[in-house]
This record gives sequence, C-alpha cells and structure tokens, in this order.
Amino acid sequence: MVFEAPTDAASTLTSVGIDVGTTTTHIVVSELRVESAGISGADKLVIGDRTVRFRGPVHETPLLNPETVDTEAVAELIDVDLTAAGVGPEEIDTGAVIVTGETARTVNAKPLAHKLADESGSFVVATAGAALEAILAGQGAGTANHAAESEATIANVDVGGGTTNTAIFDADGVVETRCLDVGGRLIGIADGKITKLADPARKIIEAHGLGLSVGDSVDQEQLSRLADVMASLVVDSLLGPPYDQLTLQLSIGPLPEESLAVNAIVFTGGVGRLVGEYTDPTTNADPFAYNDTGPLLAGALAEAAADSQMSVMQLSEDLRATVIGAGTHTTRLSGRTVYIDSEQLPLRNLPVISAGSLADVHGSELTATFSTTFSQATQRYNVRDVGGVAVGIEEIGDLSYDRLQEVASSFESALKDNYPLSVPIVVVTEQNCAKALGQLLEVRCVGWPLIVIDELTVGTSSYLDIGEPLAHGETVPAVVKTLIFGE
Amino acid sequence: MSTNNSPDDHDEILDRIAERNPSRLGVGRAGSRPRTPTLLEFRSDHGVARDAVHSHVSDDLIETMELFDIQTLVDDKDEYLARPDKGREISEATAELLRDSCQQAPQIQLIVADGLSSTAVERNIPDLLPILSDGLDQRGLDVGTPVFVTYGRVDVMDAIGEELDAECCVILIGERPGLATAESLSAYMVYGPERGTPTAKKTVISNIHDGGLPPVEAGAEIVDLVDEMCDKQASGLDLTSADREFTKD
Repeated sequence: MVFEAPTDAASTLTSVGIDVGTTTTHIVVSELRVESAGISGADKLVIGDRTVRFRGPVHETPLLNPETVDTEAVAELIDVDLTAAGVGPEEIDTGAVIVTGETARTVNAKPLAHKLADESGSFVVATAGAALEAILAGQGAGTANHAAESEATIANVDVGGGTTNTAIFDADGVVETRCLDVGGRLIGIADGKITKLADPARKIIEAHGLGLSVGDSVDQEQLSRLADVMASLVVDSLLGPPYDQLTLQLSIGPLPEESLAVNAIVFTGGVGRLVGEYTDPTTNADPFAYNDTGPLLAGALAEAAADSQMSVMQLSEDLRATVIGAGTHTTRLSGRTVYIDSEQLPLRNLPVISAGSLADVHGSELTATFSTTFSQATQRYNVRDVGGVAVGIEEIGDLSYDRLQEVASSFESALKDNYPLSVPIVVVTEQNCAKALGQLLEVRCVGWPLIVIDELTVGTSSYLDIGEPLAHGETVPAVVKTLIFGE
Repeated sequence: MSTNNSPDDHDEILDRIAERNPSRLGVGRAGSRPRTPTLLEFRSDHGVARDAVHSHVSDDLIETMELFDIQTLVDDKDEYLARPDKGREISEATAELLRDSCQQAPQIQLIVADGLSSTAVERNIPDLLPILSDGLDQRGLDVGTPVFVTYGRVDVMDAIGEELDAECCVILIGERPGLATAESLSAYMVYGPERGTPTAKKTVISNIHDGGLPPVEAGAEIVDLVDEMCDKQASGLDLTSADREFTKD
C-alpha cells in the first residue's frame, strides 16, 4: 500500500512440482514472479511470469507391488533430481506434490504425498484428485492460456497410465472437468503375454465380450479393439450427455449433465503425447515398446477424435503438463491487506468449511449460520488434532462498518459456543475486508489464534495451506486443494 | 451522418476489455465527433466531478462523526481553487480555538478535510473513521479530538499538528475527482508534524472508495501504518523498505 516497487529480488518464488503417477514420476523446478496486478496501490499482487527452470528426467514409478508405491525409492529419485537442479529444500519457497492416476489409490498414497511435501521445502503441499489433476494439466500445457487468448472452448485431455482427466477451458478459465478410469497401462504386457488387467480394463472386456485374460498371448488385433473402445469412451465423455453406460461406470466423480460444444482437443500426458505418432499402423514403431497398450490407445484416440469432428491441437508441453501445472499454478496470493500472525505460519492442510454467502443473512440467523459451520467442523474433524479449520465466507454483503461489526459479533457468539478454545481459526473472505474483519475479531475472540485472509475462493471439502508472508508482509501465498486419496 | 466506425460492429474481445476498464473504450464516433450518448455520459460524469469539488460536506456528517469543525484561511470555493497556500494554513484565532477546545499533545491527531471532493468524505468517512478509531484504541494509542477542516489542503495537517503538539497526524481528504469516480479519498500520514514538512516525509494510501480499497479495509490498514510510524518514529521515505521487511524472529 505504501508506494514502493513491489518487484524486488525477494519477489521471485522458487517453486517445485512433483508428479508421482501411475507409470512415471518426474519433477520440475520453476521461478514464479510476484507482480502488482495494476498501477493502483489497492491492486492485489499476483503471480506473473512463470518460467520453468529445470525439467527432471522421466522415471518409472517404483512400486513394491501393484498396491504399494516404494516411498523410499521415490524420495531418493526426487532427491537426486533436486540435486541435479541445484536447489536445496531451503531454497524452495512453494510448490506441490501431486499423486496422480492409479497411484493416488495405492495404500500409501497419502503418507507418500505428505512425506515428499515435508521433505521438499517449507511450503510444498500435498495434493491429489482427478479433477485437480485435469485442471493442472491444462494449465501446465498452456491450454488454459490458449483458450483465453483465442476465445475458443478447448478440452485438455490428459491421458496417463491409469486415468484420463479432461478439463474444458474457455476464455474465462475452467468450465468443467470430465475424468475417466481409462489409461494406457490398465493392461500390462511382458514377453508377448498379458501380465496384468486392472479393474477398469476387466469391465470394458466384459461389457464388449473381448474375452481377454491374464496369461493370454498378445493378439494385437484384439488389443486394438480394446483400445478403440477406450478411445470411444473418452470421446463419448467429451460429447455427452447422453453417455454410454460404460462411460458412466468408468467415470471418476459425476459427469456434467449438460453437453458443451468443444472446438478443439489438446492431448497431454504420457499417452496423450503419443497421439499422432502411432496413428499409422504401417510404420515400424513397436506398439508394445512400453509393455502396455499406451501406443495403441494413442492411435485409437487420434482416429476417434478425427471422426468426432473436433480438431486436435498440439501445444508446447505434453508429457510434463501436469507436473508443470503443479509447480506453477497451485500457489495463489491473498489480497494485499490481511490480518496475520506470522508466528503461526505456515499452516498446512486445514480443512475448509464454507459458511456460504452471507449477504442476506442478518441477526440471530447469522449467528445460527456460523454455529452450524462450527458444528460441522467439530463433527467432521478433531479440530485440535488437525491444527484448526478455515471458514470460507463467499459474500459478507455491504462492506460497511456496521455490517462488519454485525458479522464479527455473530462470529464471536458462535465461536464461543461451538469451537474449542485455543484452537487456531482461519477466516477466508472473497471480498477485500480481511484486515478490517481481523481487527474487529481480534478484540472479540481473545483466546483463539486468528488469521483472516481475503480475495480467495475456497469451498467445503477442500483443504488450505497458507505460507509465510511475502512482499513486506503484504500478502501470503495460499494453496487451495482437494485431497482425494483412496477413493 | 454515416458512421465509419460503428460501435456495434466489433470483436467480442473489445467488449471484454471495455468491461474490465473504467475508460470510455470502443464507444465509436459519428464522423469526427463523439456520438450523442457518449457526449451526454461524459457531460454527466463531468457534472458529478464538478459537484464533488463545489459542494460542501454536510453539518450532519460532521456532527454524527463528532468532529471539531474549523476552517482554513480560505473564504470560498473559488479562493480555495486559486490559493492552495491559504488552504494549508489556519488563522491565529483558529489556532487558539484548537488549543482551547481540543486535547493537547495527543499521540495521534485525526483530521478530516473536504479537499477536492466533499462527495468522497460523505461516502467514505462513516465507514472508515469508526474502524480507524477502534483500531487505534485497541493498540493503546492516545487519540486526540478529531477535527474537520473546511477548505483544507493536505499540508494543513502540519499546521494543526504543530499547534496541538501531536506526535503523529492522519488527514483523510477528498481526492481530485476524475471522470471514472468522484468518490475517491486519500489518507496522508506524518510523524512529528510541523509547518513545512516536505511531502517525502509523508505516507499515503490513495484510491479509497468502494471500487478501490474499501474504506473499512483502509481504516484497518491506516491503524497498522500509524502503529508502525509511532514505533519507528518515522514516516514517508524515512520509513524505509528495510523497516517494512518481513522478519520472523
């Protein structure tokens, strides 16, 4: 707020992205520049330029068995790559570990993500979830930017070993996500035989009577038919509703109830990057070079997309789209006037409970709304053990002194009746009023460690991480994420 | 008259830019002149801006906010615009009145001034002043009698601060109105006010209005800055960025 250039050396963040996927594990290190969004002192700080500084090699994800990731081996791979990148944990300001695809469903996914996050830097967060993965891939690949610039509706289809995560972008950002249990490594192949059939593959085989089972000799024609079905399901998920029964069975989370005119598709991910390469069956490329059906699926996808009349575009990042997204697009900055106690930061993995929009809620009804919010928090979580919760407020209403006093007083009564003393409480508002609300709450909520930040959107069932202040204490980095392990 | 630049015949992208920008973009023209709706809108906005300059802050507001009402050496709006020097000074009689009626040697002296926009004062002070007073009280700072100055310029805070022997002065003053908003307020702050204090020693928060920094949020921000100024015994450029650097001990 004081007039001084906010872009000094301290305003560059070193960010790491770590992706542990079904098939591959890799890291990127990026530089994020903190900039003022405009010329006025009231404009919030944003992350401007994002430069990828280091792209780690692609490793096969080490597994102890199909249900367990070899945590130690993954940690070691990442350690070696970070050394090669020339950054130590103390230099890493922010970033994200994302456990993706089938790996997110392994028994030790959650401890793995948290361990990697803790070891990689002071404010590296653990994330998972197909929808988040889909969005990050689209941001990392540049699809989001391209959609914004060209004003087109573009689907970023990230096809990996275990899952296909689609995020659809238009000029204003993410429209929706459509995710399926379809991927290149649902079938394992070695020495000319089928060695593995994951559940989603079995469902498809059964539904289409393809009669494949573990131990069978590889029959390229049969496997191609399977790949064709998979590709048609992916296209079906983009065009629907209506959806094929099998598409619905294999969807991760609900699919949208309204169809959308998609102008173009960008394929990313390990399989997505092969789209175009394996289209022509007369080339000599070995379709089983990766011991799976990835190349066959890539070829089938190219054909299915061509039949659907949607054009296929290529952007600069394909294989590393998700990890670049994780490294460059997870961190957001709060508004410039916040109420923080830096002694308490960073805060990690705070569950978010949204109080919704309060614009038309007054008096005792307002207190009741906050009481419900706090009761939900204490019923769902042991708030002391998780280190506190974050309460999201969509809209406070008119930003007048009287209104803020009313909100602060209702919050106080509800807090005192429903929330254990001395457990940290974080308030996140969308409107620019954190400092004022913090000041009003400070005198009312003595005995609770309090943080109020603004200009961020959070929803129930997400989790919030808040880092140490940046830019002379004017803003804090925050990561809002959905953790869906083992679902 | 034919229009060779019809405002309806353009790319959707121009609408997006125009939506996010308060300027008059993509409004088209009729020959070499603006179209009638554009001209009328411009004149209406200009009228709002002129009103902000020429109107007076209501007695009602001054009473409700419990402000001690004084005037600079200026006699009317025309003189106010022509003689900035007079808007920075108070008469000996006014100085005596201040010394007799207001708290002497407060830590913080709050001043509200009409400046170039009475509208800005009317719109922002009712939300800003209470949260500012609350916050200063919460920090245990001793706040003097708040003063309202008619025909005030920013530097009148030096004269008032000097007469009352205040440690720190905050003046909330209407900004020169533009054609986008006439409701913008600024807060100037100075540590150790005395006549002739250079602008470099003053800290400012500008663009306080609903569409910029909301007045309540500005109030809480001023509390932080004033607290820091008292702590570091400095303001303006003397309050270096090194002082403001975040440190976690």
